This record gives sequence, structure tokens and C-alpha cells, in this order.
Amino acid sequence: MTTTSTNPGWLVAKRLLHAAMAAFGLVFCWWALTSGTGWVSSMRFPAPHETWAAWQQMLWSGYANALWHEHAWRSIRLVFMGFAISSSIGVLLGLAMGASRKVEAIANPVFLFLRPIPPLAWIPLAIVWLGLGDSAKLMVIFVAAFVPSVINSFSGVRQIERPIFEAAAMLNVSGWRMWREVLIPGALPSIFTGLRLSLQASWTTLVAAELVGAIAGLGQILNQGAQDIFPAMILVGMLSVALAGWLMTLVLGAIEVRTMPWRMA
Amino acid sequence: MATIEFRNVTRIFRQSEQNIVALQDVNLQVQDQEFVAIVGPSGCGKTTCLRMAAGLEKPSSGQVLVDGQEVRGPGTDRAVVFQQFALFPWKTVWENIEFGLISLKVPVNERNKRIEQYISLMGLEGYEGAYPHQLSGGMQQRVAIARAYVLDPKVLLMDEPFGALDAQTRVVMQEELVRLARSHPRTVLFITHAVDEAVYLADRVVVMSRRPGKIREIIDIKQIRDKESWNSLAQIEDVMDQSSFVHLRTHIWKLLREEQGAEAH
Amino acid sequence: MILQEKLSPQRFWQLTSLGAICFVGLWTAAALAGLTSPQFLPTPWAVLDRFVTLWSEPFAGAVLHEHVLASMRRFFLGFGFAVLVGLPLGLLMAWFQPIDRLITPLFETIRFVAPIAWIPFAALWFGTGIGGPVLIIFMGAFPPVLINTYRGAKFVDKRYLEAASTLGASHWRNISQVLLPAALPSIVSGLRISAGLGWQSLVGAELIVASSGVGYLMVRGQASISTATVMSGMIAIGMIGLILDILIRRLQQVVEARRGL
Repeated sequence: MTTTSTNPGWLVAKRLLHAAMAAFGLVFCWWALTSGTGWVSSMRFPAPHETWAAWQQMLWSGYANALWHEHAWRSIRLVFMGFAISSSIGVLLGLAMGASRKVEAIANPVFLFLRPIPPLAWIPLAIVWLGLGDSAKLMVIFVAAFVPSVINSFSGVRQIERPIFEAAAMLNVSGWRMWREVLIPGALPSIFTGLRLSLQASWTTLVAAELVGAIAGLGQILNQGAQDIFPAMILVGMLSVALAGWLMTLVLGAIEVRTMPWRMA
Repeated sequence: MATIEFRNVTRIFRQSEQNIVALQDVNLQVQDQEFVAIVGPSGCGKTTCLRMAAGLEKPSSGQVLVDGQEVRGPGTDRAVVFQQFALFPWKTVWENIEFGLISLKVPVNERNKRIEQYISLMGLEGYEGAYPHQLSGGMQQRVAIARAYVLDPKVLLMDEPFGALDAQTRVVMQEELVRLARSHPRTVLFITHAVDEAVYLADRVVVMSRRPGKIREIIDIKQIRDKESWNSLAQIEDVMDQSSFVHLRTHIWKLLREEQGAEAH
Repeated sequence: MILQEKLSPQRFWQLTSLGAICFVGLWTAAALAGLTSPQFLPTPWAVLDRFVTLWSEPFAGAVLHEHVLASMRRFFLGFGFAVLVGLPLGLLMAWFQPIDRLITPLFETIRFVAPIAWIPFAALWFGTGIGGPVLIIFMGAFPPVLINTYRGAKFVDKRYLEAASTLGASHWRNISQVLLPAALPSIVSGLRISAGLGWQSLVGAELIVASSGVGYLMVRGQASISTATVMSGMIAIGMIGLILDILIRRLQQVVEARRGL
């Protein structure tokens, strides 16, 4: 491959250009397959303009009893709450298990029992216990976010190399300082990996729970779209879910970079 | 006629925004069935020469010809023995040796015959079904040599093949290579750091300068070997004891020292 | 505080048993406390009892193992497709750059949509047929297979590719004899993740668009407010997931042993 220069600015521009071209190509194929040639009927998959129209409708006049941002907020709020509570407890437990073999031994059986059960499998149970409202969804999000946080915090502590502990002992670090200056920073990368996984799991689980039964939320858009046989709206729902999930991951990533300035990008 | 010719070969490559001249105006002719060794300080481009003959790299200017034809890419007519063996770890000894023969579309019976021949020639009996990780370094290199030789190539290219072996194994391999080269002679280009090895094995030794690589001197060993009847001596130690050997070796060492000592980078 | 040394085996088992007993004990106590009906919160024993009963007594249209078989059939179809498509595609993408350029943007857009979100389209396109759940499972199982195959093949040690080229290997032989075996550890690791995600997606799909299977069992259990049934379903799901993981892990060990890793 011949390059006119290896100027980094140019490389970034090229990357963007490629991405733009790819995006354009995709949209073009999409249009061609649906309304352009009529090969794929709108009953099966919406054409670009239909999707755009549905999107507009979502934003301004609403669908499934609410406007887009109301749905989005509802979902994001739930995920955020469930994720925040669950991960906090999970990280603390994981750190405790990592630091103390006794705690690990005691908590292990419960984990081994719960771990193989996928979070989605908790949905029927949650509905039995808490009904079809938000609390059931919170419960399921809690379960989904809990396990990855624990496991990753646990391994985060365990993978801190022995020499670091020995150095800390020599420098007379103990108790609270040990936690603040050694254990937590050392485990932080793993903790964040766990948080990322927890967040993803929270999202997936919420959408599934909303598909099973919800009054509002991004999953509900999907639900209603399916019931109304409105493919364009279904697509809007899917894209919204992907978008919201992607955004939340981005925010998490930004926080991650801020909290760990000593790491290379 | 399997000759190798380097005609005004220059090779420049880019590394971190700089142009590095690996070889400059190299002219060399290797005769049919001649064993030529190239020695030189690190970074002098000797491996690059071999890789260009193999077709794994192209000269920036000038031509590399094998058998009068310009080299366009890798091929089974120029078999390569790599320094780190490069045996396929997921294939057995037998399958490794077989690999190139399958590319040549040699029929099964003929294939098996040839593989068996080289297995016994290289002392690999009993190891046909073994995987590379089960073998010692010396054994692995034998397989690598068998894999190359079995193709009956016009040209054999060996890139510091004994570099990764311990001293004792090295000596054994050198003796074996001499035996093999005498019973099945072919054109060989041999790269090495070890001057002893070069003088022992080769008909001519090419001494390269430091980067940018040029040919410093070509020493005719064959003449002296024939005159002093080294071939009548069975063991390496006896050959290396000869004063003619010692003179040659010392001469080359001095050349290399000049090249190395003069370097500023 | 230095990281504690490993616990002695007796101590370990003591504490582990303590944990297990506490868990079961608390659960039983809560169930027997009389705050709710036994149907709502059954004791652990009641759940086990129900689990065993379901093997012989049909619920929601079939006995437990029939539901399990229905689920497994869907899983293996979806997972099978994912491997059938993902593996060769990953190899081709790693070897031929034009294919990489073509597929990568497509893949990256679709990948971020959670498999579950495909349910409405699955329902639209396949109704209540087996195609629906299989599509969802495929959407879950496909990305890890593709990504791991691609990465494994792309990061093959260049020396093997050079050796293969000097030995006259054709495109086909390069892909099948060099890329594939070299990427195998990565591929098998991807299969493990893929099986897990596929199984999860199956559960999700069966909660919504199925009329048989363990997920469906749980939904009907929920409708009859029979927690014991729901939990039995969860146990079955957990067990199968575990077995799948163990099987693939075994495969992983075999592959790695053969390669001397």
C-alpha cells in the first residue's frame, strides 16, 4: 500500500472516509433491497424512508403511549439504578472474597449454584414474586449485573502480583491504606471489565424483561411494534436499544479512563 | 543449472519514519551446486539477501535471479530452512515433511517413498508420528531440513539454521549437513553468525560489511579444503585443528572485527 | 495484610459447608415462616420434589425431558448455523482483505443489537415456527465465533505463513492447513463463549416466542404462580448450561494438549 504521507491527521481522515463510505454503501444496499427493487417487502423489513418516518413519529408524536425520550429515559433509569446498586454490592463482595480466603470459601457455594443460571432465566421468577412492574425488572437487572461484578473484582484482587504485596508490607502499609493504595487500584482494571460486562448484561436483560411485559421503555417499543406488525417501528426500537447501550458503554469508558490515568490508552 | 545471482541489489525499508538501507549495490553469483556462506555483523543484511532469493522480500532496485529467472515470489524450487524451524506445531513430523510434496502434487506412493528416505537419512526413525513440541531443538531442525530437502529443490536457503541449538547439537548438525550436502549436492546459500561453521561448511564465504550492507570480501575455501584434504578427516575437531583452517577463520574474524568496531550506531 | 495462604482442606470444607448450610437454612426459614403461601416461596425440598415430579408428570404440554429436548434441538440448530457460517467466514476474512473490508462494517453494525431485540422480527418472519428461536440463538452465538476465528487466524505467527508459502501452499491449503489449525485454540475459546451466549439467547427466546421448551415451561409456571415449577426450570437450564460448558472445556483441553500448549 502506498501512502502519500504518514501524517497522523491524514490517517484519521482516511479512516473516517472509509467509515463514511461503508456507511453510505450500507444505506444504499438497504434502500436498493427494499424500496429500490422491491425484493424485500416492507412487511418483512422496513425501507429507509419508512424507518425515518417511524423515527420522526417516535420523536414528536409518540408511540406506545409515550415519546421516544420518555421511553428511553424509563429504560435508562431502570438500568442505571439496577446496575449501580448491584455492581456496588457485587464489587464489594468480590473484593472481600479476593482479599480473604475465608469469605471466599463461605460465599462460594451460593455462587456455584447461581452462576450457571442465565440472568434471563430469572424473569419468570421475578414476575411471580414482584408482578409485571418496574420492581421485577430491577430484580432481574440486579441479578444480571451482580455476577460479572463479583467475579471480575475477585480475580482483580487475586491477580495482583505477590511482589507488590511484599513491597507494601515492607513499606508498612496495612489496613485501610492497603485497600486504598494497593488492592483497589490494582484490581481496578478488572473491576472495570466487570462493570462493562455487568452493564451489557443489564441492558440485555432489561430489554428482554420489557419484551415480556412492560408499560413503557425501549423494549416496549419493540413489543408494541411487533403486536401492531409495524416493521419500521420495530427497527426503530432495535436501533434505539443499540444506541442507548452504546452510549452508556461510552460513558463508562470515559469514567474508566479518568479513574485510571496511569494506564496507557 | 541452479545458480543464484544478485545483480546490483539494493534494499531499502522504512522504519519509524526513516529509510534504512539494508543492502547497497550487492553483486554476487552462486554457481550451480556451490555452497556459499554469508557472514557479517548484525544488521548487515545477510538474512535479507536470503529472503530475497526466497521471494519473501523484493529488492528496492536491482535483480535477484535464480536459474536465470527473476525471483517473483516464494516457491518450492527454493526451499528454506528457517532459524526457528517454523515447523507446523499441529502437524506430525511425517505431515510436516509431507507438506511441500502435496503442493507439488507428487502421487502418494512416490511421496511416501521420499519421506521415508529422508526420515532415515536424518535419523528420525520412530518419530514419524511425534509432534514438534515433543522433540528437542536438534530433532526439530532435522525435520525442518528434511522438509526442505525432500522437495528436491534447485536451491537450498538456510537462515542461521543452527542458531537456536546448543553447542553440542550444533556440531552434530554441522557434520550431518556436510554428509548430506556431499551425498545429495545442490546449490546452497547459508547464513550464519558463526565463522567456524561457515569455514567448515562452505565452498566460499562472503563477508558483509556493516549496514548499509555491501560485500567486503569473498574468500575461496574450496581451494584450500581440496589442497589440504580436509574431506579426508572424519571429525570436525580434526578439521578445525588444521592450521589452514585456523588461518582462514582468524582472517575472517579480523574482517568482522573491523566492521563491528568501526560502527558508531 | 498480606494475601492469606491457602486454607487447609478441612478449613476450606468447613467454611464452604457453612456457607451452603446458611444459604439453604435461610431459604427454608423464609419459606416456613408463613409470610407467604408455599406456592409462592417453596422450601428447597419442595423445589427438588417438583423437579423430580416433572420428569414423569407432564406440565405445559410435556414432561421435563421432552421440554429439554425441544430446547436442545433449537440450540443445536442455532449454534450449528453460527459455527457453520462464522468459522469459514472468519477464516476467509482473515485471509482475503477485500472480504474483510466488505463484511466488517456490516458485522459491526449488527453486532451491537442484543440478540433478544431480534425477537419481534423473528416472530414476524417465522411466526411460531422453529425458525424464530433459531434466529435468536444464531444472533447470540454468531459474533463470538466470527470474532475469535478472525482474530485467531489474523494473529497467526507470520513465520508459519512464510514457511507455507515457501512450501508452495495454495490459498485453500493456506486457509485449511495453516490458518485453521493455528487459530484452533482461539476458535474453541470462542465456541465456549458462543455456546454460553447462544444458550442464554435460547432462554430469552423461549420466554416469548415458543410453545415448548424449558423457557416456555417457566413462563407457564409463572402463569400458574408455581414458583417450584419456575425454579425447576431454572435448575434444568443451569445444569444444561453447565454441561455444555464442561464439554467444550474438555474439547479445549484436548486441543491444547495436542498442540503442546
